[in-house]
Amino acid sequence: MASRGGGDGNSPPPSVSSPDTPPHPGRRTPSGAAAAARQQQQRQNWTGRFPPTPSTPMSTDDVPLSSEAGDDDTPETDGGGGAGADATPVFVWGTNISVQDVNAAILRFLRHFRDPRDAGRVDPVMDEGKYMRAIHRILELEGGESLDVDAHDVFDHDPDLYGKMVRYPLEVLAIFDIVLMDLVARIEPLFEKHIQTRIYNLKSSICLRNLNPSDIEKMVSIKGMIIRCSSVIPELKEAVFRCLVCGFYSEPVMVDRDKQIIKLQETPDEIPEGGTPHTVSVLMHDKLVDAGKPGDRVEITGIYRAMSIRVGPTQRTVKSIFKTYIDCLHIKKTDKSRLHVEDSMDADNPNANKTTEDDFLRDKVEKLKELSKLPDIYDKLTRSLAPNIWELDDVKRGLLCQLFGGNPLRLPSGASFRGDINVLLVGDPGTSKSQLLQYMHKLSPRGIYTSGRGSSAVGLTAYVTKDPETGETVLESGALVLSDKGVCCIDEFDKMSDNARSMLHEVMEQQTVSIAKAGIIASLNARTSVLACANPTESRYNPRLSVIDNIHLPPTLLSRFDLIYLILDKADEQTDRRLAKHIVSLHFENPNIEELEVLDLPTLVAYISYARKHIQPQLSDEAAEELTRGYVEMRKRGNSPGSRKKVITATARQIESLIRLSEALARMRFSEVVEVRDVVEAFRLLEVAMQQSATDHATGTIDMDLIMTGISASERQRRDNLVAATRNLVMEKMQLGGPSVRMIELLEEIRKQSSMEVHLHDLRSALGTLMTEGAVVIHGDSVKRV
Amino acid sequence: MVGPQYDLVGNPLGAVRSTFERAAAAAAAESGGHEPVAAFRGKDWGASEVFRSFLFEQGGLDKVPVLDESNLGLIKPNTLVRFRGMVQDMLGNEFYVGAFKDGSTWRTNKFSDSSPFSMPHPCDSHLWERHLFHCVPVPGQNSWTRESSPGPDLRRMASCLTSEQREKRKRGADNDAMDVSESGSGKTSSSSKKTKDGVQISNSSVEMSMNEEHVPEMNGGDHHIPGSSFSCLVKVYDMPESQVKLNDVSEFIGVYTFDPELAAPSDNSDDIMFDLMEDVTAQLPPSKVPRLHCLVWRNLSAHDFLSRPPAVEPSPILLRGIRQSLLSHLTLVLGKDELAAQCLLLHLLSRLRNKVDVVTVGRLSLNFTGFNRESVSIFGNQLNNLFQRLLPYSQVIPLSIEYLNTATLQPRKDNQSGRLVTGVLQLPQGTHLTFDETLLQSGSLTSKGVENTMLLKNLMESQKVEYDFEFYKLEMATDVQLLTLSEGKSNILPSDLIVSFRPSSVPAVNASSEELESWRWYLATVRSLPQSTETDTYQMIQDEMVNAMRDDRSLGCSELSRWLTMAQIMAASFGEKSLSMEHWQMVKELERLRKERLQ
Repeated sequence: MASRGGGDGNSPPPSVSSPDTPPHPGRRTPSGAAAAARQQQQRQNWTGRFPPTPSTPMSTDDVPLSSEAGDDDTPETDGGGGAGADATPVFVWGTNISVQDVNAAILRFLRHFRDPRDAGRVDPVMDEGKYMRAIHRILELEGGESLDVDAHDVFDHDPDLYGKMVRYPLEVLAIFDIVLMDLVARIEPLFEKHIQTRIYNLKSSICLRNLNPSDIEKMVSIKGMIIRCSSVIPELKEAVFRCLVCGFYSEPVMVDRDKQIIKLQETPDEIPEGGTPHTVSVLMHDKLVDAGKPGDRVEITGIYRAMSIRVGPTQRTVKSIFKTYIDCLHIKKTDKSRLHVEDSMDADNPNANKTTEDDFLRDKVEKLKELSKLPDIYDKLTRSLAPNIWELDDVKRGLLCQLFGGNPLRLPSGASFRGDINVLLVGDPGTSKSQLLQYMHKLSPRGIYTSGRGSSAVGLTAYVTKDPETGETVLESGALVLSDKGVCCIDEFDKMSDNARSMLHEVMEQQTVSIAKAGIIASLNARTSVLACANPTESRYNPRLSVIDNIHLPPTLLSRFDLIYLILDKADEQTDRRLAKHIVSLHFENPNIEELEVLDLPTLVAYISYARKHIQPQLSDEAAEELTRGYVEMRKRGNSPGSRKKVITATARQIESLIRLSEALARMRFSEVVEVRDVVEAFRLLEVAMQQSATDHATGTIDMDLIMTGISASERQRRDNLVAATRNLVMEKMQLGGPSVRMIELLEEIRKQSSMEVHLHDLRSALGTLMTEGAVVIHGDSVKRV
Repeated sequence: MVGPQYDLVGNPLGAVRSTFERAAAAAAAESGGHEPVAAFRGKDWGASEVFRSFLFEQGGLDKVPVLDESNLGLIKPNTLVRFRGMVQDMLGNEFYVGAFKDGSTWRTNKFSDSSPFSMPHPCDSHLWERHLFHCVPVPGQNSWTRESSPGPDLRRMASCLTSEQREKRKRGADNDAMDVSESGSGKTSSSSKKTKDGVQISNSSVEMSMNEEHVPEMNGGDHHIPGSSFSCLVKVYDMPESQVKLNDVSEFIGVYTFDPELAAPSDNSDDIMFDLMEDVTAQLPPSKVPRLHCLVWRNLSAHDFLSRPPAVEPSPILLRGIRQSLLSHLTLVLGKDELAAQCLLLHLLSRLRNKVDVVTVGRLSLNFTGFNRESVSIFGNQLNNLFQRLLPYSQVIPLSIEYLNTATLQPRKDNQSGRLVTGVLQLPQGTHLTFDETLLQSGSLTSKGVENTMLLKNLMESQKVEYDFEFYKLEMATDVQLLTLSEGKSNILPSDLIVSFRPSSVPAVNASSEELESWRWYLATVRSLPQSTETDTYQMIQDEMVNAMRDDRSLGCSELSRWLTMAQIMAASFGEKSLSMEHWQMVKELERLRKERLQ
């Protein structure tokens, strides 16, 4: 068998061995000198901890090398020859894989492989193959000690070599290293450093939990997350080489090596339901030491190994159990986490560091980009947002804008404009507000879901409070600080304490939160968009009252919301029936459930986070023009000819909102430019929202005063009229210092005179105005002129 | 296969090995001496078959001792044992030399830790794999479940196999063997005495009252943290790992091994490097954590704990009768509050039936309001005692600020040891949890308290528990029944159904053991009753819902969905397979009464 290594004077035998180590291929590392050191190292281990036998038994039932099965009488390799040179070395290629052939194939590959991507390139100086160039580079820099070889290249050039390499990595890589050193020696005879071959990017990678005995001694590629790293163990070892053919012993060689063991764990996406993640140990050497740290997602290319466990110092028989680990050849970092697909990759920069480049990620991003090019992507996104809630399409579009967000802007002067879009949903109980919130919470990477009832908004700690009367318990927690750069979903916004709400002003405009603690006022970032939902104070929304009267929110806070939607329950049997059908189908697994073509949740999340990170759309000139034109038109509508009173239909705040919305809309298409159509859609969205919330029901016009002050222009007019009428009445009917008059009586008088409907509370507020003027004094229900 | 020629209980490995040697010899003769055993990897060559037939067809199960804390050390190594427990952690695969050639004979190490013969070196050998599961006594397991230990009734097992689709699928390959004929005898053997001894000891942690004085760490204070108490390392062969799920409650029958040499502490243990390479089993000393090489296993359902289940079909007439007696008992326990008793019955019969993205269907968590500390000590204790005698697994959690701030609810992966450190919320499917919120006063929560509160809320709302894997969180689906006793409505633990509790008398009832047995059977049966789906029902329910919405515009999706859940459980509680108008109306009436009280 030893003859197999000989015959070629130029190349030393691929297997190195020393008398007291079993010459099993499983005990060899891919590189000559390194292998020797490893031999040494393992010899140390064996004397200390591990017995020299048995080494890995191989089950070759999955390796039917029919074409190469020349003399496979003992494919069952077990190199464990107890001790000594008497054990005949048995190689896996008890088949007819010839060293020379492999040698030649590798040489051909290194010399002649040309990257198809270089095809067009004409470079007379460096008209060499990809790897020859790489070798030259290593020699020039004198720094590199390893040659990264893309396994795809090997496959493209020589599938047979690829197959052998994956099946018999130890042998093939040893030859690889020898060929490489040979090549180097010819180019630069004085180059002394050892260059190792590092294979990466195998054709297929294996799931960690699917590693099984048939993978032992094979080259495998697995993905996972590093969860532990051992400390680095430095080693200075002396190695002796012996030629298997002639028995020649080399001079002792000093080898300096570091090693480290890391634990690799499955990533969440590979774990089946009801399972826990598997782990595997990975042995790292030299340059690979400290290449990754706990928490990194990596792809490891290496050789799967098994090592027997000796049980006790006295026990002669070896326990039948094996420990397994991966001897690492190459480590590649992949993305840090699923939600931030873009973290380690830079799509716009093709010159990015090759080792961090990840095809998988690139594919993913490509898919997202393809999606973004769909003509109906806007509608598709809308459909995919909470697909179980129907209608409310414009609300969903507004929420989408919130998820994508606008560009924050900081002027050199220090002024800054937020990019976050705040949305308020007001509506009847029983509509799907809460479900929408839950969905948004799931979609936003740092989303916080809280109830206004229990939100102190800014606190850093959480309290349990108990209502002294009802005994109801509530958790109060500071939500906004926690959702920096996310969406803070606040349910039951109307139930929020005034104190907490006032803090929201700062959050929604300044994007910070000030916290006074132990005499220090700290300002924390709270760059969050707020999605709130509120119930009307009465059980149902009263369409005759303004939004502010319906939900009792201070107008100053209300005006901070870019979009305010009214979700009213319009007793509609069609909708009811659809809801009923939906509920029933949930319970009965009704096969008739309608399948909408929507994006799944992970895709949607990835799409949004990619857009937020990479797309920073700018207003085009046309879009800016459209914005101005639209705004002026909106203002004009308030001053319709013939109308005396001035109705504010748009304010400067709306301009900012419109810009943010347009930017968000452009982002949805992955477009770097805000186009006219985005602006038009932004106007439409704003108007839909305003029509619902800011329509003055007395006049039918949109009136921003409703949001700004809570009183529409027409209402103000009406109130002014009433005050005037009351003043007249008081002047006429009552004498200065005369007897008090009951309010009811006044009301009746007013009603007689006035053409409009007057309520007692209207009168009371009118009298209040008069009292501040000093015209009357009110005592309970009676009024006295003074 | 012939059983008697081996002593399967006393020397199971003898049977394993001789069947192997015979099978290998036969295979060798057939293949002409070339690679005769390669085909045996991951397959049964007939050994498991011998055991299945012995255990389930020849009544052998009763002869197999149950391994527990009390008899650990008394049982002889390399004998056949049974272990019932929960899969607490999955430790991955182990590679071992499955077969090797000793001279001209092929031998096997399957179902054992070490080779009985010294393996010659070098030798032809095959590397095989097995799955390792760390199993613990089921958290919150109630003592009555152990009475059935001597051996489940075979007839009932057979019927359960045919009725429960879910079980059947899980059992997979074992199925055919388990589906045994009527020939098996249901008699309880003399070995039952032996196993009963352990009952009291290991169950003491469950027998807790709801007193406020109680230590916050209920659940025996993480008593099943790895290494701190009794557990068993089960090695399972020849099946895809996915067949066993975390927190499954299973019975494993196999070879108990204990090798003192294996227990010797490994030298050089301070070598960090090999420490990392070390498999996690090294931290489970064989002297404390017995090894069980599993020959036969099956998942256990509530039915498997019943000691003398009636051998009758669950007919509506029979179920109606038991329903009535259980309901009147519940009413008495709840101080003659019949409305509360009705709701409690529905709650006890609820189970998770479906999950559609964020929506869970079938759960019915219950919040009894109107409790104070005094009434909790009366009614709460009564309820708890009843749960302990009716349900397989139940626990009480005293929800106080201190508890929330200190308890370890979340199971967490310790990446140093490679083990999953359990938390209170690592629970098997079908567990019943009672939260006593009367202990909760105003106060501030630490970050741990907030985390715990979120875990509980998430469990309430989506029946999921987040496990902490340090670098990421994994959500595990559960099916836990949740009851909250509180003063006012709990917004910390938002339940599906809120009932104002109005007792009118003090409970003073005791149930006979016959009654208890019939109620257990009733609960287990009704919960597993299949529900039929008829198109008429769809239409009827839809119309009813539309009408209800017309009458009351405040009805939303969640409320209507809950009504439907209640109606379905109501139908099942009468033993009906499909829901009718009658049940829907009963639920509507129940809801009307319930809402009246909330006013």
